[in-house]
Amino acid sequence: MLKKIWTHYFIPQERNNHRATILKPNFLLFFLILYILNQSVIKTLIMVKPGILGYSSEITYQKVLEQTNNERKKAGLSALQYNSTLSLSAQKKAEDMFKNDYWAHTSPQGKTPWAFFATAGYKYSVAGENLAKDFYNTDSLMKAWMNSPTHKANIVNTKYEEIGIAVVNGTLGGIKTTLVVQHFATPLVAIQPAPKNTTKQLGAAVEPEIINEPINEPVLGAVPQVVPPVDAVIGESYISNSKILISPLSLSKILSSIIFILLVIVLFIDGFVTIKNNTHRLTGSTAGHIGFLIFIFLLMLYNQQGSIF
Amino acid sequence: MIFKEIEKKPTEYVALLAMLIAGFLSYFLFDNSQVRRWIVYGIGILYFCWSLYHHYKRGDLQISIIIEYLLIILIGIIFISGTLF
Repeated sequence: MLKKIWTHYFIPQERNNHRATILKPNFLLFFLILYILNQSVIKTLIMVKPGILGYSSEITYQKVLEQTNNERKKAGLSALQYNSTLSLSAQKKAEDMFKNDYWAHTSPQGKTPWAFFATAGYKYSVAGENLAKDFYNTDSLMKAWMNSPTHKANIVNTKYEEIGIAVVNGTLGGIKTTLVVQHFATPLVAIQPAPKNTTKQLGAAVEPEIINEPINEPVLGAVPQVVPPVDAVIGESYISNSKILISPLSLSKILSSIIFILLVIVLFIDGFVTIKNNTHRLTGSTAGHIGFLIFIFLLMLYNQQGSIF
Repeated sequence: MIFKEIEKKPTEYVALLAMLIAGFLSYFLFDNSQVRRWIVYGIGILYFCWSLYHHYKRGDLQISIIIEYLLIILIGIIFISGTLF
C-alpha cells in the first residue's frame, strides 16, 4: 500500500498518466503555497513575537571580537582592544546604510566611513572598515573575511590597536538582512611622538598618518534593530536579540532546499523512466527544468555565504 | 537518459545552458543585491521564452505546458527571493 502511494507520487506510470504526481501543476502550486505560507508565518512571528525569531541566529559582537582576535593570535599579533566609541561609529555606519538604503563604504551622499569615526568622536591615526551582511553565524562570516585579501588585511593589520563592532538587523531595499560592521583604528594619542624638538615633526605626528588606509570596502546592510556594541549601551534589546534561537532565513533556506532537492530527484527519476519506457506525453522539458532548478539552487547555496564588502 | 532528450535538439539545450551559465557568472560579477535580483528575474523570463520556442518547434505548445513552466519559474524566483536577498 505504502509502495503504491510512493510510486504514484514519485514514479511516472499509467496510474498517474505517466507523470510523477509531485511534478504535476497542482502539486507545484502546493509547494509554492506551502513556501509562501511559511514566509507569512515567519513574518507574523517576527512582528508579534520578535523574541522568537530573528534575522540572524547567532552573530554577536562578542563572537566577532573573539574570532577576530583569534585570527590575530594565529598571525602572531596582539589582540585588538574593544573600544565603545569605535562601536558607536560602526553602529552609526550601519544605521546610516539602513536609513539611506545603500550598501557601500561610501554613502550616495558621499559620506565616507571616516565621517562616522568623527561623528562618534574617535580621533585616529589609521583606520579601516569591514562590512558583511546575510551571514547566519560568526564562523562563516569570519571565514569569508579571511578568504578576502582586503578584509583579511584589516583583521591582521599590525597598525591597528582597537576595534569596534556593530551587528545590526533590519531591512535594506525591502529585504531583511543582518549587517556586521567592523571599525578598526589606532587612536591618535597612541602615535609615537616624534623624537625631539621640531614642531614640524610634532605636527606631522598629530596629523592622521594614513587616513584612508586599509579600508576594506564596505558592505551594505539591512535595516536594523539590534546589536550595538558599545559597552555602556548594551541594553535589553541587544541581549534579547543575541539569544535568538531560530533564524528565519535558515528556516526558509532549509524548506526551499528540501523542495528543490525533491523536485530535482523526481525529475531525474521521471526522465529516466520516461525514456526507458519510450513514453510520449505532453509535458515540459525535464532536462530544462533540471537545469533551471539547479541554477537557482546553486545561487541559493552561494548566497548562504552572505556577502562582504 | 536525460541526454537522449538533449540529443534531439542539441542547439536549443546548448543555448539554454549558455543562458544559465551567463546568468550564474553575471550573478558573481555584480555584488549588488538589487542587480542580482534582476539577474534572477531575467533568467526566469529567458527560460520562459526558451520554453515557448522549444515547444513551438516541437509542435506541442499547450496551455498545460505553459502553466507548468510558469509554476517552475515562480517556484525558482519566489524561493530565491525569500532566501537570497
